Amino acid sequence: MKVLAAGVVPLLLVLHWKHGAGSPLPITPVNATCATRHPCHSNLMSQIRNQLAQLNSSANALFILYYTAQGEPFPNNLDKLCGPNVTDFPPFHANGTEKAKLVELYRVIAYLGASLGNITRDQKLLNPNALSLHSKLNTTADVMRGLLSNVLCRLCSKYHVAHVDVTYGPDTSGKDVFQKKKLGCQLLGKYKQVIAVVAQAF
Amino acid sequence: MDIYLRWKRPSRLVDNKRMRTTSDFQWLLSTFVLLYLMNHVTSQRKETPYDLKCTTNNLKMWDCSWKAPSGAGHGTLYEFCIDNRSHSCYQLARTNIEIPALSHGDHEITIRSLQDAGSSTSEFILNEKNISLIPDTPEILNLSADFSTSTLHVKWNDKGSVFPRHSNVIWEIKILRKKSMELVKLVTHNTSLSGKDAVHHWSWVSDLPLECAAHYVGMRCYVDSPLFSGHKEWSDWSPVKNISWTPDSQAKVFPQDKVVLVGSDITFCCVSQEKVLSAQIGRTYCPLIHLDGENVAIEVHDISVSDNSGTNVVFMIEDNVSGTVVFAGYPPDIPQNLNCETHDLKEIICSWNPGRPTGLVGPRNTSYTLFEGFSGKYIRFKRVEVSANGSYHQLLFQMVPNQEIYNFTLYARNPLGRSEATILVNITEKVYPHTPTSFKVKDINSTAVILSWHLPGSFAKINLLCQIEIKKINSVQELRNITIKGVENSSYRIAVGKLNPYTVYTFRIRCSAETFWKWSKWSNKKQHLTTEAIPSKGPDTWREWSSDGKNLIIYWKPLPINEANGKILSYNVSCSSDEETQSLSEIPDPQHKAEIQLDKNDYIISVVAKNSVGASPPSKIASMEIPNDDLKTEQAVGMGKGILLTWHQDPNMTCDYVIKWCNSSRSAPCLMDWRKVPSNSTEVLIESDQFRPGVRYNFFLYGCRNQGYQLLRSIIGYIEELAPIVAPNFTVEDTSADSILVKWEDIPVEELRGFLRGYLFYFEKGERDTSKIRGLESGRSDIKVKNITDISQKTLRIADLQGKTSYHLVLRAYTDGGMGPEKSMFVVTKENSVGLIIAILIPVAVAVIVGLVTSILCYRKREWIKETFYPDIPNPENCKALQFQKSVCEGSSALKTLEMNPCTPNSVEVLETRSTFPKIEDTEIISPVAECPEDSSGAEPENHVVVSYCPPIIEEEIPNPAGDEAGGTSQVIYIDVQSMYQPQVKPEEEHGKDPAGGAGYKPQMHLPINSTVEDIAAEDDLDKTAGYRPQANVNTWNLVSPDSPRSTDSNSEIVSFGSPCSINSRQFLIPPKDEDSPQSNGGGWSFTNFFQNKPND
Repeated sequence: MKVLAAGVVPLLLVLHWKHGAGSPLPITPVNATCATRHPCHSNLMSQIRNQLAQLNSSANALFILYYTAQGEPFPNNLDKLCGPNVTDFPPFHANGTEKAKLVELYRVIAYLGASLGNITRDQKLLNPNALSLHSKLNTTADVMRGLLSNVLCRLCSKYHVAHVDVTYGPDTSGKDVFQKKKLGCQLLGKYKQVIAVVAQAF
Repeated sequence: MDIYLRWKRPSRLVDNKRMRTTSDFQWLLSTFVLLYLMNHVTSQRKETPYDLKCTTNNLKMWDCSWKAPSGAGHGTLYEFCIDNRSHSCYQLARTNIEIPALSHGDHEITIRSLQDAGSSTSEFILNEKNISLIPDTPEILNLSADFSTSTLHVKWNDKGSVFPRHSNVIWEIKILRKKSMELVKLVTHNTSLSGKDAVHHWSWVSDLPLECAAHYVGMRCYVDSPLFSGHKEWSDWSPVKNISWTPDSQAKVFPQDKVVLVGSDITFCCVSQEKVLSAQIGRTYCPLIHLDGENVAIEVHDISVSDNSGTNVVFMIEDNVSGTVVFAGYPPDIPQNLNCETHDLKEIICSWNPGRPTGLVGPRNTSYTLFEGFSGKYIRFKRVEVSANGSYHQLLFQMVPNQEIYNFTLYARNPLGRSEATILVNITEKVYPHTPTSFKVKDINSTAVILSWHLPGSFAKINLLCQIEIKKINSVQELRNITIKGVENSSYRIAVGKLNPYTVYTFRIRCSAETFWKWSKWSNKKQHLTTEAIPSKGPDTWREWSSDGKNLIIYWKPLPINEANGKILSYNVSCSSDEETQSLSEIPDPQHKAEIQLDKNDYIISVVAKNSVGASPPSKIASMEIPNDDLKTEQAVGMGKGILLTWHQDPNMTCDYVIKWCNSSRSAPCLMDWRKVPSNSTEVLIESDQFRPGVRYNFFLYGCRNQGYQLLRSIIGYIEELAPIVAPNFTVEDTSADSILVKWEDIPVEELRGFLRGYLFYFEKGERDTSKIRGLESGRSDIKVKNITDISQKTLRIADLQGKTSYHLVLRAYTDGGMGPEKSMFVVTKENSVGLIIAILIPVAVAVIVGLVTSILCYRKREWIKETFYPDIPNPENCKALQFQKSVCEGSSALKTLEMNPCTPNSVEVLETRSTFPKIEDTEIISPVAECPEDSSGAEPENHVVVSYCPPIIEEEIPNPAGDEAGGTSQVIYIDVQSMYQPQVKPEEEHGKDPAGGAGYKPQMHLPINSTVEDIAAEDDLDKTAGYRPQANVNTWNLVSPDSPRSTDSNSEIVSFGSPCSINSRQFLIPPKDEDSPQSNGGGWSFTNFFQNKPND
């Protein structure tokens, strides 16, 4: 598992995690070769479920930690400042096939991973002393990287899907501080909402 | 013309001034009249050119204009002549002319109009003072805005080339805001002209973000040329230029991410296409200020310091929210305690305290730059390296080769300001070396070692001062400072001498520069054992003869570590005399004594200690003691843990003194320990952990002379005296009726625990189990104490005791340490037989004598006795009761009933008739008799009356009629009478039943012992009523005859009853004892009563 995380995940990051919205990429054609560098673990789905459960269990705490660190009036205006109004968030259909759900999960996690990277970067500058928030963000990002690797491994090994189109959220580096705070809060609110659905779907 | 000009065409300035200065009505009136006249004159003058005006905008050319005369039309020509040196004239067809500036002074100007109807001429006096300087209208070249800083930048040309140099120009700039062009700022800006055209810049920071509303800028100028003496006027306002921001479709809040000083005022605005509902900063709502369109603003005053993530400002819009973040903080404080030092002369570490927190973090945090002035190098502070002091920051600066003096300036900067601090250091004087590492110790010999260590740094140009800490076990640490030349390779080594052989040392080292600044931290400790050397001294030796006197036991003490100089492996003991030398085999170390069989010859014993290096010098001691005939045993008591022994110095003692001691209760040879002191000593304090309080020790002081020892003093002593733990065992040797002889034994030394100082002997009366001596020391008076301080005394006779008495004896010993326990004994003294005999014989003799005398008297007076005690009974019928008393005591002025002889009792004849008193069969004369105490224990002493005879009586306790007032019980005593008498009743009852009608016979007396006055009064009443009465008034019976019984009432008033007459009568009237009558108390006289107070006994 560590080997996978060390091999596949950085590659994915290099390929996908560049700031700015990416153009959708087509799913790998069926006849394309799909090979992973290392063999996938036998109980991948179990690991995926566990990782989803782990993310789901910590999402609310991360959300609270985040909006508390942003100062007033964030904690008292969650509906307006932290509402899950993320327009370009990848869809997820809980009643789809496993393959479809895995593909959608991959997109969701890729989107969230990139956004979490932006949030982590912004918060290290904005709240350099909020160490618990940094730690929670890093932990969540680590779990997401592992989940992404596992999902891709599952897609590749079972469904021979080697590549999935992904989209990313807006880059916040050029935005003002308030926009960074607000977008981060909205994203984490959306993440908390979505991860509960996703964890339930698997 | 000049006058005219002044009158006719005063400038507006002049008018204005005049108008402003006129306040007096008269002045106004006169002015009005004058103006009217002038107008009239002018109207006359309108026939000619008039109202000449000249202005200039560059001081080089004057622009003069005038008004045409009436009737002048197109085609009218004017001749404009200037009467100066050249007298120049200009012909022109217009009413203005531009002429070169005229020189100072008045110039005559002639204007002649040439027209068809003729010509007319006007003359004017023109002076520069009448010229107005009106600069050209300035033009704003450029108006730009920096929206991030809300700053407007204005750029314009001063057109200075047309003016002389050094002219001052005042620019007035106005800032207008919003579409309604509200003036928000009017400022003046001064410049000076350089003679050339110059472009000027002016910036203005708006309190309202420029995005919030359109801003307009206009300007005008005023040239203040010192060379021009005429009127100077403002130019016209330039056309305004505006700055506006094109809003996005989404609402935005400005300023964005602004950093402001804590306490400042700031305005936020929201540029929105939709209506803004509310605005708040943090949790505080702010009132909205409406700008153009839907734009609104809020003003925040005295903003407080922000959190790390800034202070949020939020504008609530319908279905949306927009906001910004402001960071309120402080400019950087001046770096405090800036200090620069080096650890290794390669790198300089500058540290400082940043002072007051700015409240700004992240990209807004304070940045520091350390600049070195001589070399021009600088470094920037990148991250906070928290030093040991916590909040200190530090920077590392690489040293410049061959530079020792450094001039550092530390610049601090953040978005709100900057500060700096400087320090000039000679870095060779600021050396704080690293902690020495690789610290090692190496032997040179038994007293010297080599220390080596590594001290990183380039110290070749300086000397190092190092401090070595040398510590021995159980010893004070020693610090040695050494100065060594610094080296480049960081390795150092030094030799340390003056150490002790075979000693464990702990070394550690620290260093500084010779020009001391700071010590480095101590290196790690290094423990090292120096090598061995031969023992420096022989062992301390002593000898004792065995108890049988045949063997000599040699003792020696193990050498102290500083004298052993190594591990002692064995000892060699030898004895030598003049003839031979005897050597024992090697004795291994743990053994510190040896026994040699010697004769009584004098031998010299020598003991040598050996370690791995060699043998010690021998210790010698003679086997025989030098005799001393004059030896006394002394006593001494120690103090605390030791005992001080003193002696007089003996010049004969050339070696030393030895004090030997042992426990006195141990068997010989007596040796516990010994101690040698120099021969010049006269005292020594002997201390030992083996000493115990309460234990007797023997101390022997020996003097040394030619290796032979002589016993000088023998001392017994205690380190501390305690109280004896046992009581002396004592016995009673002899007992007599008045003395006891007690004898006791010595207490063993072990149990005495101190020097015996005496005995305390206590004794008191007391019997076993009933008397215990308690609180012997409390000074009880019934305890007698004898303090026996003569400890040789072993017996004690206690005299003056009472015979046949039990005594409690207690004996206890005491020392200076306290009282020992007590031992007690009960002894009964013997009976005093002589006294008993006397006590028996004397009463017997007295009784016999009295009996004889009585018998003789009775015999000789028998007739009288018969007459007295057996008289004829008189007939009561012949007795006149009412005259009874009178007849009895007739002829006597006072009652004499208490006197036996003069008062002869009446003869009473008892009748058998019961007519009046059926139950009375005989006359009763009741006389109270002496109270016969029935129990001495229950009676008061004064109530005890010894009587010679107690007739049978009935004692009945009745309540006291007077109740509590009498304070006790009354006792009525009825003499036992025959059964024919009426039942005995209480007097009160009788009184109560029939106090007045009690006719007939009554007992003559039924007297309460404690009669009260009321009782007596009642009896008086009875006397008046009827019946038989006592022969005498009992109240008068207070006189006491020696034999009469008496009783004492509660008030100790003596009340006596009866009389000898009554007693006598009773003796003979009392019939034989009735069966029903109460039993007598039986008070017969017995011999024992002679000795005892108890009649019943």
